[in-house]
Amino acid sequence: MVARPRRLLVIPLGVKSNPAKKLARPMANAYLTGDKEVRPHAPASRAVIAAEARPARVLWPWDPGPPMRLLIIEDDHDAADYLTKAFREVGHVADRAFDGEEGLALALDTPYDVLIVDRMLPKLDGLNLIGQLRAKGVTTPALILSALGQVDDRVKGLRAGSDDYLSKPYAFSELLARVEVLARRRGGRGEDTVYRVGDLELDRLSHRVSRAEAEIVLQPREFRLLEYLMKHAGQVVTRTMLLENVWDYHFDPQTNVIDVHISRLRSKIDKGFARPLLHTVRGAGYMIRDGAR
Amino acid sequence: MTALGKLIRTTTFKLTLVYLSIFALFAIFLLGYFTWNTQRLINQQITETVDAEISGFAEQFRQGGIRKLVQSVDSHSRRATSSLYLVTTFSGETLGGNVSSLSPGVLDNVGWAETLYRRPDEGESTEGRALVRVVQLPGGFRLLVGRDLEEERRLRAIILEAGRWLIGLVIVLGLAGGIFATRRVLKRVDAMTETTKAIMAGDLSGRLAISGTGDELDRLATHLNTMFDRIELLMRGLKEVSDNIAHDLKTPLTRLQNRCEEALRHTQNEAGYRATLEATIEESEGLIRTFNALLMIARAESGQARDNMVAVDASEIARGVGELYEPLADDKGLELIVEAPAPALVNGNRELISQALANLVDNAIKYARQEPHALNGERAQIKVSANQRGDRIELAVADHGPGIPESDRRRVVERFVRLERSRSEPGSGLGLSLASAVAHLHHGELQLLDNAPGLKATLTLPRAPLALPAESSAPERSPNPVPVTL
Repeated sequence: MVARPRRLLVIPLGVKSNPAKKLARPMANAYLTGDKEVRPHAPASRAVIAAEARPARVLWPWDPGPPMRLLIIEDDHDAADYLTKAFREVGHVADRAFDGEEGLALALDTPYDVLIVDRMLPKLDGLNLIGQLRAKGVTTPALILSALGQVDDRVKGLRAGSDDYLSKPYAFSELLARVEVLARRRGGRGEDTVYRVGDLELDRLSHRVSRAEAEIVLQPREFRLLEYLMKHAGQVVTRTMLLENVWDYHFDPQTNVIDVHISRLRSKIDKGFARPLLHTVRGAGYMIRDGAR
Repeated sequence: MTALGKLIRTTTFKLTLVYLSIFALFAIFLLGYFTWNTQRLINQQITETVDAEISGFAEQFRQGGIRKLVQSVDSHSRRATSSLYLVTTFSGETLGGNVSSLSPGVLDNVGWAETLYRRPDEGESTEGRALVRVVQLPGGFRLLVGRDLEEERRLRAIILEAGRWLIGLVIVLGLAGGIFATRRVLKRVDAMTETTKAIMAGDLSGRLAISGTGDELDRLATHLNTMFDRIELLMRGLKEVSDNIAHDLKTPLTRLQNRCEEALRHTQNEAGYRATLEATIEESEGLIRTFNALLMIARAESGQARDNMVAVDASEIARGVGELYEPLADDKGLELIVEAPAPALVNGNRELISQALANLVDNAIKYARQEPHALNGERAQIKVSANQRGDRIELAVADHGPGIPESDRRRVVERFVRLERSRSEPGSGLGLSLASAVAHLHHGELQLLDNAPGLKATLTLPRAPLALPAESSAPERSPNPVPVTL
């Protein structure tokens, strides 16, 4: 097991965390709500606009997972600085490399949780770098950042051995959500046959869902949506991640179709229960967790 | 490059040179063969005549001895012919004949020989070359009979002279013809080069001249002209698009700038700044989305994505997109139904076709609800369907909304075009452009039809396996088509 760096005071927030400790991050929690989105400082008029259009973005509006050690391989110093700072603020440790060769050497040397690799790098191209790592048996999850966002570029990236692909420009919340999911995937709950969050239960083999012992009937797509959310319970999943992983679409559907699917699912699993499980994370996405303790 | 250098470098001229050399070699060979054969024939004739005469003289010798022979030789010698006769004793004394001198040693060897000779003809002596035969007669006498070779020499001279003229003529005529043909071709190619230079310099209206003979240069010029037509069309389209882009991107950018300036002037507290920043991020997100859509359209139009096409089921796509949008439609009080009875295979990119269809469904949902239909309490319907019609696959989205007036149908497919009544809806005005570009990428088309009432938007795509047409799908621009085909 890799020793987790603890340079910053971070309160990991999982199912077993002490509720009292959460008070240490009141701001972050303020964004986590049930059915309605609540904005701590927004004026009323902005809230109305936000309800119609996409919710505006706020950086890391959720409690981060356990601290991760990340490697950012990016030749643009400004971008690398911004990412390093942003990751540190949410309690992760980020190292930097400014070219492909340096990045490769670091990635071979140090057991990182996730690599964030720019596609176009001096000395050694991002795809090559990941290819060489994989050839040497290094399985550290890698996410490619690229200005090329087209479908076949993404396919090329994934074929080269990367685990996720995010095109520039991106919101930090989107990157953070994806990185946390990637980091957790190692030794995560991917192989469990039954997912449980609070009193909600999903059986992946019999395709049954129940809450508080009462069976819930879901459409196949709703089942897959819930399955994905529960697989990443306690983690934020963005709308794009849902669209990519549940529907296998990589385009921008303009209108927020995902929100409607979520609210349908929510009405099936949360309606009539005092503790909501499916939360909207303002400006980022959704999270399922037993949070009302 | 000089004019001559240019001429020499042309393919036509090089070909001329090759042909010229081949013909000249052939002529030389022919002449050589002719000369050699003629000479052989003449020699044969001489040999036969000489042999005949010698046997005649031998007969005389046998009958009347040396006296009779000398008499006969002398009588032959007096005739003015090109024949040579000589009889000598064994010691070389001349007994009779018409030869005064020979190359030394000719008489010593019995048999055939070529020799120079001199004969005393009425005072003046003539010289020449001759082919002679010497025979030894009993008693040491020697008899020489020969024939002058002047005739043969003259014949050879004539042939050689003719050969020189022939080859000279072949070369001169060949070169002249070659230069003439080359200059003709070169002139036309130069004219083409000039025209293309003008086009490269920016005058896209220039076209290559066509001589009307239908030769290979004409065919080339016709094809190049078609290409220039296409380039001109594309360039004009591009210019229009960049003008549109400039206009449509400047608007949100101006809004963004104004909002930031206002915040700097008037905002006092953190919440105000936060609100401005959030609005700024939102606006920039919209810009990024517009950019992405534009890039996607450009990519689809350039045909680059054709590499990754596989057989995909249009019915599957219709069901997938229908399923994605069904809750949204339901939310807006619409009923979305999918009709995709049988698999309908299309050679294409699932992601792009899905997005094109999603844009059409998105539009239908946006606009269909604007005119609430009093359908006796029934909900307005949006029908997504995938059907096979002959060798085409039709992916259609039909609604009962206000539709698009016929006069506007072609315009709405252009980038950033939004009709008056849709201005209030969110959207970039790129949805239909993308759908149309994706249809073209797949060698298909986007049709906007009247659904009476409402709009039926149809993506018509060729059925897989796709036999790629030779011509790329250039947009047909008929003056007033119904339905509008773009």
